[in-house]
Amino acid sequence: MLVQQLLNGLIVGSVYALFALGFTLVFGVLNILNLAHGAVFMWGAFVGLYAVTVAGLPLPLAFLLGTLAAGILSVLVDLLVFRPMRKRNGDEFGALVASLGANLVLISLAQQVSNARIMSFPFGTFPIVIFEFLGLRVSLLQLTMIGCLIVLVSALLYYVYVMPFGRQVRAVAVSERTAVLLGVNPTAVYVRTFFIAGALAGAAGVIIGLAFNSVQFLMGEPMMLRAFVVIILGGMGSIRGAIVAGLLLGVVQTTVVTYISSQLSDAIIFALLFIALLVRPTGLFRGLRQPARVARS
Amino acid sequence: MTSLFIDRVSKKFGGVTAVSDLSMTIAPRGITGLIGPNGAGKTTVVNLITGMLKVSSGTIRMQERDITEDAPQAIARSGISRTFQNIRLLKDASVLDNVAVGFHMHERTSLAANLLGFPSVWREKKAFRERAHAMLQRFDLERYADYPAGGLSYGHQRRVEMMRALAMSPTILLLDEPVAGMNDVEADALGVMFRQLADEGLGILLIEHNMRFVMSLCDVVYVIAFGKLIADGSAQDVCSRPAVIDAYLGA
Amino acid sequence: MNDLFAAYKPLFDITLLSCGLAFSQYVVLRAGVESFATAAFAAIGAYFAAILVTKWGAAAPVAVLAACALGAVAGGLLSIPLARLRSVFQAIATIAFVQIVVSLILYAEPVTGGALGINGIPQLVGTLGLLLYLAIVVALMTVINRSGIGRAFDALRQDETVAVALGISVIKYHALAFILSGAIAGAGGGMLALNTFSIHAEQFGFPLLVAALAAVVLGGRTSVLGPIVGAALLAILPEIARPLAEQRLLVYGLILIVIIIYLPRGIVDTLAARWIAWRAVRQTPSVVLGSADDQPVH
Repeated sequence: MLVQQLLNGLIVGSVYALFALGFTLVFGVLNILNLAHGAVFMWGAFVGLYAVTVAGLPLPLAFLLGTLAAGILSVLVDLLVFRPMRKRNGDEFGALVASLGANLVLISLAQQVSNARIMSFPFGTFPIVIFEFLGLRVSLLQLTMIGCLIVLVSALLYYVYVMPFGRQVRAVAVSERTAVLLGVNPTAVYVRTFFIAGALAGAAGVIIGLAFNSVQFLMGEPMMLRAFVVIILGGMGSIRGAIVAGLLLGVVQTTVVTYISSQLSDAIIFALLFIALLVRPTGLFRGLRQPARVARS
Repeated sequence: MTSLFIDRVSKKFGGVTAVSDLSMTIAPRGITGLIGPNGAGKTTVVNLITGMLKVSSGTIRMQERDITEDAPQAIARSGISRTFQNIRLLKDASVLDNVAVGFHMHERTSLAANLLGFPSVWREKKAFRERAHAMLQRFDLERYADYPAGGLSYGHQRRVEMMRALAMSPTILLLDEPVAGMNDVEADALGVMFRQLADEGLGILLIEHNMRFVMSLCDVVYVIAFGKLIADGSAQDVCSRPAVIDAYLGA
Repeated sequence: MNDLFAAYKPLFDITLLSCGLAFSQYVVLRAGVESFATAAFAAIGAYFAAILVTKWGAAAPVAVLAACALGAVAGGLLSIPLARLRSVFQAIATIAFVQIVVSLILYAEPVTGGALGINGIPQLVGTLGLLLYLAIVVALMTVINRSGIGRAFDALRQDETVAVALGISVIKYHALAFILSGAIAGAGGGMLALNTFSIHAEQFGFPLLVAALAAVVLGGRTSVLGPIVGAALLAILPEIARPLAEQRLLVYGLILIVIIIYLPRGIVDTLAARWIAWRAVRQTPSVVLGSADDQPVH
């Protein structure tokens, strides 16, 4: 039973990791806490859902559309919100407030569009197949979730660490000024980074929408708070950290919900966040960038 | 009269040694120079003295008192004040307010009094403002008193930062490249002020690149390169040493 | 005329309350602390006051003062773990804190009524009480701004490294900011509970966080008039046009984005800064026409 819960936890955690990856990437590169990330995730789910229910498209295509749409939306947020801030030498606080505003705008639009209803994918969108395996029950959906995570993360790692663009991302992460002097085009970096972050969030959105069979305009908010925990535990800007911490959080949450109380799960997770902030604010891994966090080093 | 003793101080950042086994004395009533090529660790030394960075090994003493482990605020209150290499004024505040904030540590009124607005608080504030005006007059910037500090010329901004540091009534003053980017006339005007302050009893540490300026002002000069002390002595003495010439002109 | 006043009284009351809560957000930002915990302090104050009145029959002044005190304590306690954190980490921690408080309130059903909240609270606080509350808060903020505390807050907010080099204790002043924020919001929450008949946990979550922040962003984070102007404008907006009332989230979002990009200091502070600069230039014409070494450098 415990192992089953562990497995369930890992699977939920994999989606948390997927969501947090985009978030941590943007923070690592741009030092911005993009509070609109949850809304992008939600819109990915919306597009995926409407692709199936309204346009009657097959699920794989809907998934792709949701991912793409979220990526584009993420880039739009940067173009309309963060770029003007950069042009005016905005500070960190300004970027935080602006992303909060963007979050509100996106949520309210979704509220309008969906009439604040809780929607779900039609029955049978994803085949319900359960495998029994060493005494554990795993559904095809769960396997697909893990599979998606592995594929997307591998692609991301390859992109960031192997491809030339990845070096540019890391250059901008360390110092934008220097990167420009070295001939890197920062705009291209921003656009691509936001696109990747958004696409990952959108993928996570469709997956969560399928897994919990619920898509609604506020579904991004609880995810944001889990992302906070993941990036604090895992280290701001660390890809490895986001994955490990995401999986860990999934396991912890599933355990708490099963054995303690589902009502308290939020409070316990946030308590974890506090403890993590106090004990090891740098997280388990070093990130792409180490922001100044305490007055004295 | 208080001296500052830096005793075999080292600072390591992970694998990089920024400062290694450095010993220096900043004597009162005088101007001590600290020179060295870029990246030698001069600003690191200032940050170590003021407590912004933790010392890896060694001690720093003010007279007999060991201040190595003290918090930066405590060190500031002990009588050590500094200026910054890239000027750090409160750009939004007026010139007067920038200087007045330097008097903050001399506050005698309690937190409660400040919260409730007792008359003693307003009296003290008025006194601080008067002292700030006096300071501005002394440094010939009185006409800029209400001007936003960020709008002043570079040279004037440096003077404001100096006044702020002096407002703390320090016994030791650390000046981090105070005349960088100035022409000779401006630099010499400031040099005269430094000499005056030293004659009044202040122990000044002057970090500079400008060799002529250093030679004309400093009683004692320390030369560091790559975090290590490579020479010390009087200005003329030090400037003729081959090791020093190498460090400045070498690869 | 009486009818007109009666119709607008609730709006006026809410505006007064919003101003008060905006000040709770204002005081921490003034000190350079990126805290968004106002909503949590308000929740604590509101529930405490409501419980004191409904279950223990406390008088209004006692309940409000107790709510204020509890808010102050909460602020002080929160400042301890947050003392070592800065900027985004403080932001995350305080946003999470708001959520924790809401979660705990929902969980503690026997005491707080859970999701149903506390209903049937007698309206012991009227417009006069709210005016008194706001007057006290404004007076306090004005005194603080002009005193040594304001001086320290300004230094800490603009450049913490410099403040430390000047001997200003970061821990002391940050803790003070948190305590003040908690006290103001706690009292505000208490008054909210005793003015609006019922309270429930969700009203103290994200929406309140955003409302308090928006007021300060819109009005200004430095001048005392800032939060007042901001809160008043936000309170009046839904009354001007129906669509604005229905699209509350959208409007708040757009305001936050537009203001922080194009008018980052807020309305009042931007005007104040322009006036100060204009006045300074006017008083020292020699500066504008001055000699070579008077060239302003940016």
